[in-house]
Amino acid sequence: MLSKKQARMLFIVSTGLFAIVFLALTYDSMQQIPARTNAHNLSASAIRGHEIWNDNNCMGCHTVLGEGAYYAPELTRVYERRGEKWMKMFLKNPEAMYPGQRKMVQYNFTDGQIDDLISFFKWIGEMDLNGFPAKPTIKMSSAQNNGAVSANSPQVFKDVCVACHSVNGSGGNVGPALDHVGSKFDAAYLNKWISDPQAVKPGTAMPQLNVSDADRALVVEFLSGLK
Amino acid sequence: MKYKSQIVAYWFFATCMLLLSLQVIYGFIMGFAHMGFDNLHSIIPFNAARATHTNLLVVWLLTGFMGAAYYIIPEESDRELYDVRLAYIQLISLIVVGVTAIIGFHLNWWEGRKFLEIPRPLDYLVVVNVLVFIYNIGMTIWKGNKFSTTQLVLYVGLLSAALLYLPGMISFENQTLDSYYRWWVVHLWVEGVWELIMGSILAFLLIKLTGVDREVIEKWLYIIVGITFLSGILGTGHHYYYIGTPKYWLAVGGFFSALEPIAFLGMALYAITMYRRSGRNHPNKVALYWTMGCAVMSFVGAGFLGFAHTLPQVNMYTHGTLITAMHGHMAFWGAYAMLVLAIISYATPIMTGRKLWNNMASMLAFWLSNIGMVGMTGAFAVAGITQVYLERKMGMDFLTVQKEIEVHFFGLILAGCLFTTGIVLYIYNFIKHGVPAPGNSLTEADEVESVPSLI
Ligand code: HEC
Ligand code: HEC
Ligand code: HEM
Ligand code: HEM
Ligand SMILES: [Fe+2]
Repeated sequence: MLSKKQARMLFIVSTGLFAIVFLALTYDSMQQIPARTNAHNLSASAIRGHEIWNDNNCMGCHTVLGEGAYYAPELTRVYERRGEKWMKMFLKNPEAMYPGQRKMVQYNFTDGQIDDLISFFKWIGEMDLNGFPAKPTIKMSSAQNNGAVSANSPQVFKDVCVACHSVNGSGGNVGPALDHVGSKFDAAYLNKWISDPQAVKPGTAMPQLNVSDADRALVVEFLSGLK
Repeated sequence: MKYKSQIVAYWFFATCMLLLSLQVIYGFIMGFAHMGFDNLHSIIPFNAARATHTNLLVVWLLTGFMGAAYYIIPEESDRELYDVRLAYIQLISLIVVGVTAIIGFHLNWWEGRKFLEIPRPLDYLVVVNVLVFIYNIGMTIWKGNKFSTTQLVLYVGLLSAALLYLPGMISFENQTLDSYYRWWVVHLWVEGVWELIMGSILAFLLIKLTGVDREVIEKWLYIIVGITFLSGILGTGHHYYYIGTPKYWLAVGGFFSALEPIAFLGMALYAITMYRRSGRNHPNKVALYWTMGCAVMSFVGAGFLGFAHTLPQVNMYTHGTLITAMHGHMAFWGAYAMLVLAIISYATPIMTGRKLWNNMASMLAFWLSNIGMVGMTGAFAVAGITQVYLERKMGMDFLTVQKEIEVHFFGLILAGCLFTTGIVLYIYNFIKHGVPAPGNSLTEADEVESVPSLI
């Protein structure tokens, strides 16, 4: 068996040796990280977004790159998942988007700050993360999120509504599937509903989305066709 | 107690009790928020509750380590503490910085970096504070009349913990670099230098409680901390799998972190073996419970539950889910919280001269808090596994999944109540000891049991 002196040598040698290897690997990582994280795309706006992220401790509710808290959605791929338009609406007024759900802090960001945050998330979303977050491996009967929403749907539907609604089995499931909504409601009702859901049905969980008049007309037309 | 300056430790321990109670309250706030009762959201949003919960944890553990050092170092160096007044100043300033930080968290003043939320200006004060502490015990050792391995390992552990705080203070524009160096603090603390502190405090307690030969204990101490660094340094790679770092970390981190449990297993076997060779019956049985409990539960929480999600194939799905919270609770509890509670259980009766060991309250405190913590770990585990399957494997929406697992947070709260009952009893027993008065402390003779052991 080892003597005390040999045990001490074991401690000193293994610590020294592995510390050196660790520092060498760190040096090599520092050379590779800029390329893997597209540091050249880290714009001034994205850096400001990172500061907003940091100063408000968003990591105290969310995870990004899988690090942070487990109370609110993982945001590494949020740009890809939700798209720019949806994120703008959401960050303007988080509570309006998910009334009655778990609350995010209402930060009252300016449009400039929202753009910065979105650039930050866009940059994060493009990193090479060795395959994280993994693609789901188990298929469900009703597929999720942004898949192939029918090609003839208007852009605003793809940008905003599919986050919560599905058509032909693809899209979110926060709100009901809209496959036969055209036979359920007429165009006037749909128009009123989308412009102010609370006025139609007080206490509903469908958010008021500030969709422009032109976009709303397109969406109503599209939905009315879903018989 | 050999030296009257060891009494400083009492006030560090009293501070621990206060911070621990606050930490538990913030734990409940988050537990309820996860269940859907976020009524405090407008004053204490989740991120403020979380930063407070985890920072209080780290601060009370560090306060406990400092108290332990102020108790152990004079005894091991065979002299009074170098400067008692400085130790009190250091404690008070630590509390002031801590309180300022916690108030700051509630006013949105912090850095968004998990576990290192303390704002930069306060970081500098923490550094000064810790330097004063390191200086004080360093001078005690330097001027001491005796030199021991236990003391050396403890000192090296504390000093390296202080040095490793520094990389956490550099900030980067690139999120990946930010988190790369954040782990030098978080990982290299709990799976590196804090294990030196743990090993040496356990060694001190085992020498005192079992009377086993110092030479044998200290030889094993070197072997265990040797294994710790052999595996733990490159084991940092288990945090570098998926954050924008090179792919070789999957192999390096996976291999070396899989070896980390050996050090914790070593710690458990070492405590059990020493206990069985025990040449002495120390009357303070509850301190022995906490000591053995620490050695065993650290293996369960850090070794076993750490291993459960450390391989890259598993971590791909569990990374950043409630599985991590499950492991975090049991590991911190077993390895470090129980360690501090062990040294407090051992030292408080000696400092105050009241033999409140082995009474009903102190035994119940041990069992209830441990059973409660096992229950909490179970609740996090079930919630975490469900989350991994529904969200990560099937691709369900985050919030939909959270609704599904709300019920397990009810389980968490129930187990948390059991846990809290244990902690309340522990604190009650601590308070009943009263404060140390000069001349009251126990002597070496009181540390040998006169009646045959019942346990
Ligand atoms: C108190 C906790 C909390 C804090 C702090 C917080 N969030 Fe959130 N966030 C949430 C919750 C909960 C959701 C889920 C949607 C909802 O209920 O509003 C969310 C949703 C989001 C989403 C949409 C995610 C998705 O996939 O639908 C984005 C983007 C976002 N937050 C960004 C941020 C940013 C940026 C910050 C910091 C400035 C931040 N959050 C701070 C709780 C928080
Ligand atoms: C944040 C999630 C969310 C978003 C985004 C959202 N909705 Fe909804 N929507 C809901 C919820 C929840 C309901 C169910 C409301 C209820 O029944 O009270 C709903 C209901 C509806 C209904 C009625 C369906 C029925 O069968 O009763 C229609 C139509 C609708 N939404 C259209 C839209 C359109 C068009 C958009 C995009 C402009 C959109 N929604 C965006 C959540 C959302
Ligand atoms: C006493 C020792 C330990 C403590 C206190 C501890 C605590 C923690 C904490 C708090 C986290 C979350 C950190 C964060 O996200 O910022 C964490 C993560 C992790 N720990 Fe430990 N740990 C210990 C030992 C171990 C060991 C020995 C292993 C492996 C065998 C391990 C494996 C992991 C892994 C893989 C993660 C990352 C989880 C993720 O990807 O989200 N830990 N640990
Ligand atoms: C009744 C008591 C407690 C309750 C209800 C509780 C609850 C919680 C909750 C809900 C979280 C947040 C998870 C999230 O991000 O969503 C958390 C985090 C944490 N708690 Fe506790 N807690 C309690 C006691 C403790 C104790 C005693 C310890 C230490 C020994 C501890 C250590 C931690 C750690 C390390 C984290 C961060 C985990 C991570 O990031 O992975 N908690 N706690
Ligand atoms: Fe680690």
